[in-house]
Amino acid sequence: MQNRLVLTATVEREEALRYTPAGIPVVEMWIRHQSRQTAGGFERDVACEIQAVLIGEDARKHAGKLAGNAVTFTGFLSQRSLKNPRLVLNIEYVEFVKG
Amino acid sequence: MGLQRVQVVVDLPLFGAFTYLSHFPVSPGQRVAVPFGNRQLCGVVVTGIPPEGLPDSQLKQVEQVFDSLPPLSADFLALAEFAAAYYHFPLGQTLFTALPTGLREARDITPPDERPYGLTDAGLAAMPAARQRARLALWQALGDGPLSQQQARQITPQAGKILADWLAEGLVQRLEPEIQPLELGPSPQLNADQQAALDALSREPAGFQAWLLHGITGSGKTEVYLQRIAFCLAQRQQVLVLVPEINLTPQLIERFLQRFPASRIAVQHSQLAEGERLRNWLDAWQGRADIIIGTRLSVFTPMPRLGMIVVDEEHDGSFKQQDGLRYHARDLAIWRARRAGIPIVLGSATPSLESVANVEAGRYRQLKLNQRAHGAARLPTVRLVDTRRAKLVEGLSDPVIKALAARLERQEMSLVFINRRGFAPVLACTDCGWTSGCPRCSTRLVLHLLERKLRCHHCGWEENVPHACPECGAPDIKPLGEGTQRLESALGRLFPTARILRIDRDTTQRKQAWDEIYRKVHAGEVDMLVGTQMLAKGHDFGTLSLVTVLNADGGLYSADYRASERLFAQLTQVAGRAGRADAPGEVLVQTQWPEHPLYQALVAHDFDGFAASLLQERRQAAFPPAVYQALLRADAPELASASAFLTHVRQQVQVLAAEVLISGPAPALMVRLANRERAQLVLESANRQALHRFLDQLPPLLDAQARQHGRGLRWSLDIDPQEM
Repeated sequence: MQNRLVLTATVEREEALRYTPAGIPVVEMWIRHQSRQTAGGFERDVACEIQAVLIGEDARKHAGKLAGNAVTFTGFLSQRSLKNPRLVLNIEYVEFVKG
Repeated sequence: MGLQRVQVVVDLPLFGAFTYLSHFPVSPGQRVAVPFGNRQLCGVVVTGIPPEGLPDSQLKQVEQVFDSLPPLSADFLALAEFAAAYYHFPLGQTLFTALPTGLREARDITPPDERPYGLTDAGLAAMPAARQRARLALWQALGDGPLSQQQARQITPQAGKILADWLAEGLVQRLEPEIQPLELGPSPQLNADQQAALDALSREPAGFQAWLLHGITGSGKTEVYLQRIAFCLAQRQQVLVLVPEINLTPQLIERFLQRFPASRIAVQHSQLAEGERLRNWLDAWQGRADIIIGTRLSVFTPMPRLGMIVVDEEHDGSFKQQDGLRYHARDLAIWRARRAGIPIVLGSATPSLESVANVEAGRYRQLKLNQRAHGAARLPTVRLVDTRRAKLVEGLSDPVIKALAARLERQEMSLVFINRRGFAPVLACTDCGWTSGCPRCSTRLVLHLLERKLRCHHCGWEENVPHACPECGAPDIKPLGEGTQRLESALGRLFPTARILRIDRDTTQRKQAWDEIYRKVHAGEVDMLVGTQMLAKGHDFGTLSLVTVLNADGGLYSADYRASERLFAQLTQVAGRAGRADAPGEVLVQTQWPEHPLYQALVAHDFDGFAASLLQERRQAAFPPAVYQALLRADAPELASASAFLTHVRQQVQVLAAEVLISGPAPALMVRLANRERAQLVLESANRQALHRFLDQLPPLLDAQARQHGRGLRWSLDIDPQEM
């Protein structure tokens, strides 16, 4: 089953680094995407905001350095929790956009 | 000398005594070695007539009589016999529960001879030569007065050998120890209530009387005990003081030692080293110890000159043993006082409903202490914080955080009470709903973050915290709810300058832990105490001015009918830690049920009103103390076999159950514990005799029925159960 999202976005808000009970680092953030896209022959402006979460060594590495930056995130989607159907981007790769 | 037939009990789960032949003269209470199967066991000779019709050839012989100690006293045997009969437990196992470990083994115990040495006339005349320096020094010291073996050893390490020689030569003799006159350390002035209580105890003629000393927290109950104990000691009586496990602190012992510096105070509790426990037990039995202070097991300690029993914090759950001989030390103490014809004082700020009912019925007399002992100290103001709509930060409401901040500012100590140790009571996966269940019990594993472990607080199971959810694999699993560890770290973040001390079972396991806690607290090195019900017990933390209670609501609507009684007692006790010295105290209780009568009574400091309404409820619902209860518990690998056993038992005994109501079988509140599944029958009657006549018939029947249900089945009877 495919579940892959590549999204370039600006990190609007970055939560403080925390750890799971097993000691795995976690950073949660809100990211905002803005671009021009085409569908059905119509080109238009799109924007969206989504929660994203970075887990593991990368979380420790990038913690505190994400806010305000434009980043290309690669990852997959899941819902926030059993009870909350809002989507969350689970980040696999982080690539800072130069410029 | 012919062969004597004697009845002997051994430490095995078998009802009844066994008949042996003895070549030696023995009397009841004597410890003996007997052959049993292919083993040799320690047995105790009991009273009772050997059954007739057994030829000598079928009987085995007593192999040895341990007669370095006299036979156990008739009082001791009578108490064990009563306990065995009342708790429907084999007499052998009951007796061996009552004995210290050293006396449970098939070997003779020679008590140390502590009589001092003194020179005889011949010894006085036999001055050792000057070159025998050790002998001369000892001789000179003895010339100044008698010496104990220990004192003699301080003069010369060879004292043991020399004294043995001299004893053989008739140069020294053993003297009866001198009775030390009673000395009293400084005693504070009693307030009017304390004095009235002491006067009432003093006016009472000698004989059995049960007293309930009901004093608010901080009212100085201990001082009343101490002054009454002084009276007993002056009469050359012994006194037994029973305290809850957690209250048996070095500070308590120290207080007794300071008050009675010349008296011999011996301690009895299960953590004591075997040798020390035995020595103290023998001291009590042989009348050398004046005061025995101990936990529930000390109720059995034989004391020939017993003049009074004190049960401090009589409501405390630790007086009931929860396995083996399921006795209640307070109740046995009452029986013992009645038999000995002496007074017994039960003290508490929150007496058990059983004792309240006994006061109402006129069986106990009540003494009230309604003022705090310290002149200026008042009961704290209790306020409720409604958390239904409040936003909590790590379990703490805004008023609680502000109150803590104000105390920190004023450099006063606060206490945060949360009755859950560990970091969080459960670890959960928000993605799939998995929670950390115990593989062996029907309960949750508690997260202990500092140790990175999940632990079962019921069976002791422990495992590492998983790296990801075992069900769905999501790594971001989360602790739910608050425990002491989490609160400790949350307070550390909220108040970075505060010195926080956590007190729970995990931080108090080391032997010196309490000493260290007291030292820090009294040296003013602590700003906030975070802890569990351990803090609710009789500790005096001095200048504590704020107590905050989090997450107590669980006890309001529990399936156990005793839960609200316990919760009220616990909150009253923990609230009582506030304002004990001169700073006025404040108590904040976070709750989702501020209108609940329990909290309203807590705010009004109305124990009597709340106890009366609980008693009324118990009478209406026909729960103890309005009725007498016993639980027949069964456990097996599968609930079905435990239930089937109980169903069969019920069918079989129904006809015997005159005046006894049998309910169940029902699964226990916690069905699964340590891989065993549990069910129970409740047996109850308004008539205690009827219930016990019924219970008397059960054990043989239960054994037979259990055998039919296979090896995996176990049963136990719990008389006057405290936990459902």
